[in-house]
Amino acid sequence: MKKVTSARISQLLFLALFLVLFLMTEYRGSDRIIAAVNGFFRANPLTAASTMLTVKGYLPLLLPGIIVLVLTLFLGRFFCGWICPLGTILDLVTGKIGKRGPIRALQGRAKYWLLLPLLFASLLGVNLAGLLDPIALLLRALTFFFHPLLGDTVRGGWRSLYGLMGDRRDLLDPGYRLLRDYLIPFRETLYPLAFLSALLFFLILFLERYEKRTWCRRLCPLGTLLGLISRLGPLHRTPPKLCPDCQACRVHCPTSFDQGLLQTEECILCMECSLRCQPRRVRFRFAGPRPRSGPVMERRVFLGGIAGGVVLAGTFRFREPAAQARLLRPPGVRSEQEFLKKCVRCGECMKVCLRSALYPAFLQAGAEGLYTPLLVPRLGYCEYNCTLCGQVCPTGAIPDLPREQKQRQVIGKAVFDKNHCLPFAKRIDCIVCEEHCPIPEKAIRSEQVELTGFDGKRISVKQPYVVDELCNGCGICENVCPLEGKGAIEVFRVKDRTPLKPPAGEAPPSSAAPYTGTRG
Amino acid sequence: MQRREFIKVLGLASLFLHGWLRNLFAAQGPTVAVAQGADHAGITRKALAALGGMQRFVKPGQTVVVKPNIGWDRAPEYAATTNPIVVRALVEECLKAGAKRVKVFDRTCNDPRRCYASSGIESTLKGMKNVEVKHLEEERFKKVALNGRVLREWELYGEALSADVYINVPVAKHHGLSRLTLGMKNVMGIMGGNRGSIHKNLDQALADVNASFRPQLTVIDATRILTAHGPQGGRLADVKVLNQVIASTDIVAADAYATTLFGLRPTDIAVTRTAYQRGLGEMNLDRMRIVRV
Repeated sequence: MKKVTSARISQLLFLALFLVLFLMTEYRGSDRIIAAVNGFFRANPLTAASTMLTVKGYLPLLLPGIIVLVLTLFLGRFFCGWICPLGTILDLVTGKIGKRGPIRALQGRAKYWLLLPLLFASLLGVNLAGLLDPIALLLRALTFFFHPLLGDTVRGGWRSLYGLMGDRRDLLDPGYRLLRDYLIPFRETLYPLAFLSALLFFLILFLERYEKRTWCRRLCPLGTLLGLISRLGPLHRTPPKLCPDCQACRVHCPTSFDQGLLQTEECILCMECSLRCQPRRVRFRFAGPRPRSGPVMERRVFLGGIAGGVVLAGTFRFREPAAQARLLRPPGVRSEQEFLKKCVRCGECMKVCLRSALYPAFLQAGAEGLYTPLLVPRLGYCEYNCTLCGQVCPTGAIPDLPREQKQRQVIGKAVFDKNHCLPFAKRIDCIVCEEHCPIPEKAIRSEQVELTGFDGKRISVKQPYVVDELCNGCGICENVCPLEGKGAIEVFRVKDRTPLKPPAGEAPPSSAAPYTGTRG
Repeated sequence: MQRREFIKVLGLASLFLHGWLRNLFAAQGPTVAVAQGADHAGITRKALAALGGMQRFVKPGQTVVVKPNIGWDRAPEYAATTNPIVVRALVEECLKAGAKRVKVFDRTCNDPRRCYASSGIESTLKGMKNVEVKHLEEERFKKVALNGRVLREWELYGEALSADVYINVPVAKHHGLSRLTLGMKNVMGIMGGNRGSIHKNLDQALADVNASFRPQLTVIDATRILTAHGPQGGRLADVKVLNQVIASTDIVAADAYATTLFGLRPTDIAVTRTAYQRGLGEMNLDRMRIVRV
C-alpha cells in the first residue's frame, strides 16, 4: 500500500465526488437537479478551450474551466495528479499491472499530434475534443456500460428472488429500495456504443502495462493542454535534474523522469519525489530557476497540427441526407450547426434523461456527430414536464429552459403513416397516440368517420390527424403506438424549430388549491 | 261512474299495479351513494357510511389495494388523476377497519416517478404506517385466463390479484376514444403488456377483464371532473369542480351515475352499455337506489 499523501487523499475525495455526482445525475423527485457531474465538465479546461474556440465567444457556463486553466499556469498539472478521476482510477489499478516499458510510437510528439488537430479543428468550427476528453471518456463508459450493467445485475437478481420466494420477497424490500433509489439506474436501458465506450476505457487501462499513466502523459489531450500551459508558469522543481548520486526519482515519479531532466509538461504534481527524497533535496518552488528544456515541439509538429485540424474539420462533415430526417435533438436545440459546435459529448443528458429517450449517435449524424445525443422516440419520449437535460448540459448546447418554455420547443413534427395506422389500414379504433399527447389542446386529434369495414358492414371509426401548429415533437405518440417495431406515427426532424405559441391566456394554477400536501 | 268507465280505470290501474308488483318482488337494485361537499375527505367518508362503512368490506388483518388513477404527470387540480385527499380518506378508513396493509399503486402512462409525485398521492400518503405506495414491478404480473369475448388471457398485477379487498378509485374524466373514463376503464392500471392494443375493442375488452376481476368497491372521484381533452387534460378551462364522490359495490352503476355528471346518458358510453349487456351490473338509473348524502 502506498503511503497516504495529500495528493492521494485529494484524488480519492474527487473520485468519490465524481461518483456521487454521477449517481445524483438522475431524477429524484425534484424538478431541479441540485448537483450533477456537469461540474467536472464545466471545470474542464479542454472542454472550455475547444468549445470557446469553436463558437468564438465567451461562454459564462465554462468560466470554471478558464479558472482551472489560469491556476494551471501557476500550479502546473495539479488537475491530473490531484483531481482527474480517470487518473485516480489508473493510479489505483496500476500497481497490479506489470510494466513492459514505454511504447516507442507514443514517446515522441504523439500527444501534440492528437491535441493540435483537435484544437485547430475547433477553430475551424468542428468541436471534437470531447471524444477524447478523459472525463467524458470515463463518464460515457460509466453511463453506457458500467451503470446499466450494475442495474441489470441488481435488478435481475431481485427478479429471480421473486421467482424463488414469491411475495415473501417483500421482507427484503427496504434493502432493495435503498439500492434502487440510490445506486442503480431507474430504467433498464441498453445503449448503442456501449461496446465502444467500454473498449476505449479498457484500452486506457490496458496501456498501463507499458508504463505508469501512459494515457495521461502520452495521449490525453486535456493533460497535454495543461502541460503546455504549465511550461509557462513559475512553479518549478529543484533540482530540475536527477541527482547523480541517487536517481531514486526515476522510480518514484509516475510520469516525467524517463530522461535525466524533469519534463515539466508531464509532471502531475503528485509530490512523490519530494516526499520520498531521503536527502531532502527536492523542493517545488515558485520562481525557482527555469529548467532548460528543449522546444515544446518542432515546427513541423505545429504545422502538422494545423493541417490535421483542417483535415478533421473538412472530412468529418459528410452526412447521409436520408438519415437526417430522423435525427431528433434534445428539446431547445434549434440549429444543428450551433448544437454540434457546443456539444462536448459528455453524455450527461443521456445519463439524466427521465425516459431514457436520448442515445449516442454513431454515424447517423455524420462522423462529426459521434456520441452526440439523439432522441429515439420508439425507445423513449421527451417527458412534457421534464427539463433535466438542459439543466445538466455543461456548455449550454441544450439550453436550460423553464418548464413552460421547454414545453413549446419543437423537436420535430409527428407524421402518420396511414399504411400502418390501424384506423386507416385496418379500419379499427385505436387513438392511443391522441390519448397520450401531452399538449393540453391536443396536437393529435381525431375525426369520427363512417366507413364500410372489410366485412362489408357500416362502421364508425376515429381517425387521427396531427395539428402541426401544436405539435412539439416530443415523441410520446410514436413511443406508445401499439404496433410492433415501427410505429404508425413517427416524428420527423424539421428545419424551422420556432417554439410553439404560448396558449391563450391561462393563469397558472394557484397552489392554494384544496389538494393539500400535494406540493412535494 | 258508468260500468264502462270503471272497467277502463280498472284496466289502466292494473298496468300500474303490474309495475308496482314487479318492483316489489324484483331483487333490489344496487345502491349508489352520492356525497356532496367541499370537504373531500368528509364526503368520501359519508359516501362510505351510506354503503355501510368500510367495515362492511374490510375485515381486520386483511390486505387491501386502493387503486387510484395515477396515470399522468399532472397536478391534482387538472383532474387527470384521482384526488389525493379522497385516496387518503379511503386508506385511513381501511386502516381504521383493521386492514393489515394498504397498497396504493397504478401502472402509469408517463414516468412513474413523476406521476406519483405530481399527482400528490405519494406525498399525501407519505409516512402512513402499513401503507405502501410503490411503483409496479414487472415480475409481479401474472397471466390470467379471462376466456372473454376478445381477450383470452391477459397479464394482471399480482398484488391486485392477491389482495383480500380491492377498492377501485377512478377519477371521472373525458376520454378521446371511450368518451369517458370511469370505474370500468380504471382496471387498465393493473393490466400488463401492450395495453394500447385493446383499444380496438375497448368496450368488450374492458368487459372481459372486469368480468373476471371484480373490485369489491368502486369510489369515483368527481370532486372535479375533466370535461374535454382527456384523459390527460392540462387546461383548467376543461376542469369542472363538482365536489362529489360516488360509491357503489356495483361498478357499472357507479359509472352510469357518473356519466350523468357530464350531461350524458349511460347508454351513450359503449363501455358502460356493453358491461350492462354482459350482466356486469346495472346501468338504468331508475333501477338503482341513489342515496344522496
